[in-house]
Amino acid sequence: MITVRDLRKHYRVHKRPPGLWAALRSVVSRTYETVPAVDGISFELAEGERVGFLGPNGAGKTTTLKVLSGLLHPTSGEVRVHGHEPRRRDDGFLREIMLVTGQKQQLLWDLPPADTFDLNRAVYDVPRADFKRTVDELVDLLELSDLIGKPTRQLSLGERMKCELAAALIHRPRVLFLDEPTLGLDVNMQTVVRGFIRTYNERHGATLLLTSHYMDDVAALCPRVIVIDKGVLSYDGSLEELSRRVRPEKHVVLRFSRAVDAADLDGLGEIVSREPASVTLSVAPGAVTDVVSRALARLPVEDLTVQSPPLEEIMSELFSRSRAEREPPA
Amino acid sequence: MSLARTLKATPTLFRVGFAGAIAYRAELFVWMLSTTMPFVMLALFSAVAAERPLGRYDQRELALYFLATFLVRQLTGSWAAWEINFEVRQGTLSTRLLRPVHPLYAYAVDNLAAIPLRMVLVGPVFIGTLLHFGVAWLPSSAALWAALFAAVLGGWLITFLINAAIGSLALYMESSVKLIDLYLVGFFVFSGYTIPVDLFPSWLSALGDVLPFRYQIALPVEVLTSAHGEGELSRLLLQQWGMVALLLTVTLALWSRAVRRYGAFGG
Amino acid sequence: MSRYVRLLYHQLRASVLLSAQYRADFLIDAAIEVLWAGLAVVPLLIVFGQRSDVAGWTFGEALLVTGFFTLLQGVLEGAINPSLTAVVEHVRKGTLDFVLLKPADAQFLVSTARFSPWRAINVVTAAVIFSFAFRHIGAPPTAGGLLLAAASLLAAVTILYSLWILTVSASFYVVKVDNLTYLFSSIFDAARWPASVFRGGLRVLFTVVIPLAAMTTYPAEALLGRLSWQNAAIAMGMTVGLAVVSRLVWVRSLSRYTSAGG
Repeated sequence: MITVRDLRKHYRVHKRPPGLWAALRSVVSRTYETVPAVDGISFELAEGERVGFLGPNGAGKTTTLKVLSGLLHPTSGEVRVHGHEPRRRDDGFLREIMLVTGQKQQLLWDLPPADTFDLNRAVYDVPRADFKRTVDELVDLLELSDLIGKPTRQLSLGERMKCELAAALIHRPRVLFLDEPTLGLDVNMQTVVRGFIRTYNERHGATLLLTSHYMDDVAALCPRVIVIDKGVLSYDGSLEELSRRVRPEKHVVLRFSRAVDAADLDGLGEIVSREPASVTLSVAPGAVTDVVSRALARLPVEDLTVQSPPLEEIMSELFSRSRAEREPPA
Repeated sequence: MSLARTLKATPTLFRVGFAGAIAYRAELFVWMLSTTMPFVMLALFSAVAAERPLGRYDQRELALYFLATFLVRQLTGSWAAWEINFEVRQGTLSTRLLRPVHPLYAYAVDNLAAIPLRMVLVGPVFIGTLLHFGVAWLPSSAALWAALFAAVLGGWLITFLINAAIGSLALYMESSVKLIDLYLVGFFVFSGYTIPVDLFPSWLSALGDVLPFRYQIALPVEVLTSAHGEGELSRLLLQQWGMVALLLTVTLALWSRAVRRYGAFGG
Repeated sequence: MSRYVRLLYHQLRASVLLSAQYRADFLIDAAIEVLWAGLAVVPLLIVFGQRSDVAGWTFGEALLVTGFFTLLQGVLEGAINPSLTAVVEHVRKGTLDFVLLKPADAQFLVSTARFSPWRAINVVTAAVIFSFAFRHIGAPPTAGGLLLAAASLLAAVTILYSLWILTVSASFYVVKVDNLTYLFSSIFDAARWPASVFRGGLRVLFTVVIPLAAMTTYPAEALLGRLSWQNAAIAMGMTVGLAVVSRLVWVRSLSRYTSAGG
């Protein structure tokens, strides 16, 4: 169980106008500015949940993850992870959690990943039998057998990320914070990493909190999402509900047996994209049946699908809207 | 982290540290090449002592002194301050903070794990010294060898703790690399690494006695070359270990404060 | 040409801006500089406390060597080491490509990548040391001596720079060597002393292989009006030779770097 209540994290940063003179003057006196990275958010995660943590760049996602893993101290508010207060970084806490980031690595750069695994075995005091079982399982699931003997620096980005995940799981953490774990990976590798994270969660009941720029990660992994923007929580609930709220309209895709004039499409709905023999329309949810029956009546429709707008689109709309209005959607 | 668990993890920490030293052997070798200053100082002081001895040092004594200095420096080396600075800048210090073992302990074991590799250079120089100067200058009793071990260990601890303290400051001020330079100034003047401390005028050596540097290199060298009588030796060893205790207290306090502050500002 | 002057101005300006960010650094840099100068004098004081001259040098004369050493150290720490560190980092991270993409001579760009402007303080320290030295010697330098010393100083800077380019070229081959700056500084440190204190192997090493003698001892001798024409000629030859060799090696290792694909 993870509880976050009214968490705030404010940074004090040094501000300096550009230019040589200002630089020299800042040697003598400097001005500071308080930046609220996280400005009062609350949520709870039940054990074993998989939750996606969404928001535009600079929304405060990474800051929150760092607070949850004890690397940053909250300015105010209460944080509990399995009964521990993360900022105290006590032994029991450190053994239960792990933070994996796509940008920073724990693998020892010039040594094979197997050495990092062994180091973590010793540091987390994992019994050798358990260690062997865990490594075997990880090697099997992630197909690491050819990789763990090579120096880390010789591995590709994707291979490194797989080993990074494995190293993070040697001590079987019950809570896993993942910050952009698929950053920069190709689509194939993203799928592997995603599938693995899901398997780990299902086999060991670990709680997952994940940030990612790739909405596919979130869609595949997280039944629940939490959205923050400018340090404020703007949504907490299921992904479907979120897309319904942000973009209630549906996409109706029509394919025709021959080219159709633009004029024939008048009045059906807003055109998202059009080619001579196909069109994608944006239609309010209540009007879908009406639009479909009218299209079937007057156009040479060969094929027809109704879908929700792509998640990426939903997110970019959500973020740009909340930035414009500075208030939660819905 | 409990002490028992830390001790249990130590052999693995050491093994991985040694594997790291092997991987970085080219770097370590260049680093060792840059610690050959004692030979330059030997040349300088030999020129000075060409006609008559300088203080208690004739040509032979000078050669022994600076060879011993070179050996002791290899055994008491630490680069934790650079490492911590590097990790703060790269943001990889977070990884260490996530692990349930005191980061300073991990750095310490890392430094010690490189010593076997340093032996590759220390061994031949030591054997060469023995072949050229015989064995008469070495400590003559088991007690003196024990004293030598204590002095070298104390010297290493002081070096490491100063490094760790400077490293802690990197968590405060983005980079404390400049402080390393400042420390090195004190080290080069007072440690006996470039000038035998007993050549100092008395006011300077009195100052040197209360600073940590002289206990890093000069004391182990003096024990190795049997420069002191029993009374003086125990006095200096006592002072050295007093310095170790003081630095340990200060450094641990500094580190935990620095980690708290790191948590407040982020990295 | 004027483009390079402007480029140099912009690189310098960026360095000043950068160093103003770290105000504590300035004070510490100044303190370190004063302390280092003091450090250079401590062994001299101790040695000359016992002897009136060492290897043919009096205290005042040896101070001149220290003065030139301080000047060159300013060049080394202020202009050379910062960019060396930058290059080694570029090579390691593979970002040197961005430098090579810019439309200017790569050697120029790399050499001017970063400065530590505060190190200009070494000029002040050196001036203090020089005036102290001449008070001790008792006679001011002659105009001819000054001219020759200025020329040898120029040669010394060129040698230092060429050695640095050679070191950078080496970093293309052995990527992992982060400690090159320390190695470089620690070898250079021997230039604190008049070359005549070294005997045997070290003397050969420091006059021919790494011409430390030409960097600090010859300028000091020039100032004292006792630099032999023979040594002056050797120094000039070495300077030109090193400059040419370092440029050739640089071009070679750069083409090796680019053909290896970074």
